[in-house]
Amino acid sequence: MSAQSVGSSPRRGGGYGRVTGHQEYLADIKLPDMLHVKLVTLDVARARINSIDVSEAESLPGVAFVMTAADLPDPMPRFGPQFQDRPVIADGETKYHGEPVAAVAAETKDAAEEGARRVKVDYEKLEGGIFNVTDALAPDAVLVQDPSLRGDSPFAQTNVIDEKRFGWGDIEAQESDLVVEDNFQFPMVTHFAIEPHGFMAAPTGDGIEIWSTIQHPYLLQKIMAKMLQLPLSKVRVHAPDPGGGFGGKQIPKFEPLVAFMALRAGRPVRLVLTLDETFQQVRRSSAEIRIRAGFTSEGALTFMDVETNFLVGAYVDIADRVVSKSSYAAAGPYRIPAVKIIGRTIVSHTTPSTAFRGFGIPQIGWARESLIDEAALQLGMDRLEIRLLNLARYKEAFIPMEEADGDWEQTVRTAAKRIGWGDPLPPNRGRGIAVGLKSGPTTGLSYSTVRLLYDGSAMVYAGTSDMGQGARTIFAQIASDELGVPVEQISVVMGDTAVVPYDQQTSASRSSVLMGTAVQRACFDIQGKVRAMAAELYGVDEAAIKIDSGNLLLPDRDVAIVDAMQQALAPLGGEVIGNGEMRKQKDPNHPLGGTAAFFEFNCTASEVEVDMETGHVTLVKHVTVGDVGRSLNPQQVTAQDDGAAIQGLGHTLMEHYIFDDEGRIRNIGAIDYRILTSMDLPLEMHSESIENADGPGPYGIKGVSEGSLLVTAPAVAAAVREATGVLIRDLPLTPQRVWEALQEAKDGS
Amino acid sequence: MNPFQYARPATVAEAVALLEEHGPDARLLAGGTDLVIELRNHWVEPKLVIDLKHIPELAPAITQRKGFLSISAGTVMTDIAEDERVQHHLPALVEAAVVVGSVQIRARATMAGNICNGSPAADTAPPLLVYDAVVVVAGPAGTRRVAVNDFIVGPGKTDLQRGELVTAIELPIPDRPYGAAYTRLTRRRGTDLASITLCAGVDAAGAARIAFGSVGPRAFLVEDESGLLGDPGIRIEDKVEPLDKMFELASPSLKSLRASPDYRLAMLRVLGARALETALGRLTKELVG
Amino acid sequence: MNETLTIRTTINGRKRTIDVAVNHTLLDVLRDDIDLTGTKECCVVGECGACTVIVDGRPMNSCLMLAVEIDGKEVTTVEGLELDGELSALQAAFLDESAAQCGFCIPGQLMSATALLAENPDPSVEEVQEGLAGNLCRCAGYEQITKAVLAAAKGVPR
Repeated sequence: MSAQSVGSSPRRGGGYGRVTGHQEYLADIKLPDMLHVKLVTLDVARARINSIDVSEAESLPGVAFVMTAADLPDPMPRFGPQFQDRPVIADGETKYHGEPVAAVAAETKDAAEEGARRVKVDYEKLEGGIFNVTDALAPDAVLVQDPSLRGDSPFAQTNVIDEKRFGWGDIEAQESDLVVEDNFQFPMVTHFAIEPHGFMAAPTGDGIEIWSTIQHPYLLQKIMAKMLQLPLSKVRVHAPDPGGGFGGKQIPKFEPLVAFMALRAGRPVRLVLTLDETFQQVRRSSAEIRIRAGFTSEGALTFMDVETNFLVGAYVDIADRVVSKSSYAAAGPYRIPAVKIIGRTIVSHTTPSTAFRGFGIPQIGWARESLIDEAALQLGMDRLEIRLLNLARYKEAFIPMEEADGDWEQTVRTAAKRIGWGDPLPPNRGRGIAVGLKSGPTTGLSYSTVRLLYDGSAMVYAGTSDMGQGARTIFAQIASDELGVPVEQISVVMGDTAVVPYDQQTSASRSSVLMGTAVQRACFDIQGKVRAMAAELYGVDEAAIKIDSGNLLLPDRDVAIVDAMQQALAPLGGEVIGNGEMRKQKDPNHPLGGTAAFFEFNCTASEVEVDMETGHVTLVKHVTVGDVGRSLNPQQVTAQDDGAAIQGLGHTLMEHYIFDDEGRIRNIGAIDYRILTSMDLPLEMHSESIENADGPGPYGIKGVSEGSLLVTAPAVAAAVREATGVLIRDLPLTPQRVWEALQEAKDGS
Repeated sequence: MNPFQYARPATVAEAVALLEEHGPDARLLAGGTDLVIELRNHWVEPKLVIDLKHIPELAPAITQRKGFLSISAGTVMTDIAEDERVQHHLPALVEAAVVVGSVQIRARATMAGNICNGSPAADTAPPLLVYDAVVVVAGPAGTRRVAVNDFIVGPGKTDLQRGELVTAIELPIPDRPYGAAYTRLTRRRGTDLASITLCAGVDAAGAARIAFGSVGPRAFLVEDESGLLGDPGIRIEDKVEPLDKMFELASPSLKSLRASPDYRLAMLRVLGARALETALGRLTKELVG
Repeated sequence: MNETLTIRTTINGRKRTIDVAVNHTLLDVLRDDIDLTGTKECCVVGECGACTVIVDGRPMNSCLMLAVEIDGKEVTTVEGLELDGELSALQAAFLDESAAQCGFCIPGQLMSATALLAENPDPSVEEVQEGLAGNLCRCAGYEQITKAVLAAAKGVPR
């Protein structure tokens, strides 16, 4: 009998391959007779392509052909998860720095690279490029997207894709003793997964096979089937475990390009981006946030008014959903009588922004939590107390159609205790605390198949992508407990649409809850079948057999599910197959199309020391506490939370794209885009979980993985403010920025 | 990267002959940590790459001679940082060597390469200047010795002439109690290119000097003429003016991504004061010990 | 055309004679020519450490070495860490501490850690962090990785 697996931390599924080098990531897969692809890009953001001369490139030994817009169907096929706006390859005009204008297919990587250097592009840089919100909204602004692509949008003649308006109550009607207002900015940052993105395609005669580092293989399958007018059954997507995703690998990018190239070549083709190229393809949306809030003299929130301009890229990708989802929760976990929220999706001639851990919340949370601190300061209130006062209590409706699904006060108090809130501080030290809230998935559809094999081992099929969050382990743990099969004897199969049943997507910290439920239900299906087999085998009434922890509880004895299965299937053997489905339907009445399956709620508290001469910020202690419902695998939960916190410290302390005034990213690549190394960690770090088993997933779990970076920035900035007295409204808090703020304060006083 | 020819001379003379023959079409490969990036990015497109690692005279070695340490051109940062004689006599050089890149980089990058690459931000340049290092150059006309201050010319430029290469760097062992300290300004604690590199040195007679880089076309060495900086009896707060004077040559680039000119100039003073204090502390310890 | 050179080298204990293009890096040759794909490619400027291998006892970025440079040298890649089919103490510790998340940086982390422990069998937390500072992990499993290295150092002597 296996010990209880849920709540323990067995070795990671797929871990052996990861520590031996045997794990096959996309770039490790070689297809027979494949061609290598290299992209041709321009060192300019917005340019008109006059002509492309491929003759010299195509005459090079080893170069098979060069693909340009002219070689693709007319009109240019376009795709995207929300809007069909992204062309397969730049069509007449480049709209961001690094957008490919041609692609060279060659027998070797060397030949492809040389070919790419020999493609001659006659282009002219176009003036009027849109690189910031102000320029985008100017009345005479150049339109980033052709209005003909915008359908009947009322904003079609502008750079605004959409404007989201949410809210409740009348903010003008509220009486406040104090009103505070401010503006904050959040920079563009990139995912920097250590595995650069990669794509392969191979024609199969009547269809196509695609390999991609994608998080959503079924979305890719759907997009490719539509574009190539193939049935889903003829588009097979292989999605090897991504080497880090963080949202950046959710949405198809160059899969259509490699598919058209493979079809043209009649051979497999492969495009593996460099890290530098990846930098130019995915990022988090930057944002400018104007926020205003009213308070009573006791500190109770009376209203909140939030207006966020998200600068997304040249193509919308999933960014408009980022805007709506984060805007809906902009007011945070607070009880507020009146709220007005506006969120705008604004296109620009920059790298298309996409999903990125936190999905818009870090941007808005940065502004909101910083403003709450300002109010506390002006009211002479403690920054912890003002939050506790306004925090929605358990089960309290705090946003229309949404209620607090956890004991958030417990979370906040735990974090405050851990950071030593209120303890005396040495000089140049400060503490900050902030709360963040993110909606989990609003819809979902996951299927799983589980096979209980004759020898008592099992296979779990799940369309989730395990990109490091450890979904394989979680699913194995669930199946282990439900079937009584040791975790080590369970294989989890993922990443092949020809083998594994449908899953909507791997995003929004959904997989443990949604796919986890599907896996559990598939196991229930097996339990039911074995129960029926046992009833016949032992001559017992089926209804008299209960099931617990992998055992059938017969009236007179317990029998392991595995034993009953083996006896029933003997002598031929065989297996028992179970199917499970988890569906979270759309709710047409909800502004987001559905209620949050759960909330990720996190309280982040930080203590810093500031070098007053240089502006360097040292994280003395960093605490995150998340309401996880239940920690299904404590080790993995901690690893996800630590990792999210450290990633949050990246955009808080050092990460940002630096542009020149022509819209070119100047700090492409690992040398001048800094992320935290092992030497940049907080001196002390704690990631804790609140476990009240009150989540919607198996055993009461909620989603995890994003909470710990939702409000890193405001917590750290508040600590810096306490240490130095200066309020900083833009990120990251580089030594130079902190020093400049200190100088300004000095000059001002 | 482009195709090129690869040569593996067995002696310095062979390397010199190759360099003389091919001139700017040839590039030297020592540690390769800069060269391979330059090749991949097509910043350089040599016809010939000359690998120096098969020349016994250049093999990693730190040799103590009369009054100086000779560090061969093939010696990597790790070797320098781990050498007890360097640690004892030239602690500021160790402080610079251990912050060059990561462990992996330090296992490959040579100090000679660090200087020959001509980067204004080269970490080892300030301590080499403060310690009065001498660069040993072999060329068609034989061997010559150049003070490091004359060897460093500007961004990417050194005193090396056609056909010449560096075979060693010689560091005088201070013949009197000497305190020196290296420090730098970076954007994070982990590996980073410095926005300021700075080394201060003081002796018991009160002679102070500061070398600093990354704030102009090359690393500069400046002697303190006031006589105040090296005086342990004067508080650092009272050294502001002479310290400011040390940095008159600084002209940080407006275009740099890493830090603004204002910030760099302000930090020169902060780092200068800190390095000076550390150097004075070390000097006192030497005098006492 | 690429000039090639025949080199003799020992990779993971196995003596090999291979023809390599002189303008190919060690990383290129490991991954493309001899199918040792455990060594990963990411930044190709010596910043991320995903391509770290051990050459004659020292960890190095294989993206910054020409393959010809391993002529006559001994190279260990992640595929060479298992001994007689058994995980090394470090590999086992990485599994036990959940240090491998997405896993893409892990081969490089393991190589740096292996070199570190060979040099310094009983490192402090700071020494581990310093020793692995040239290996970026975007899952940011630094705490778990450090724990694993310390656990391996304390555990089975190698």
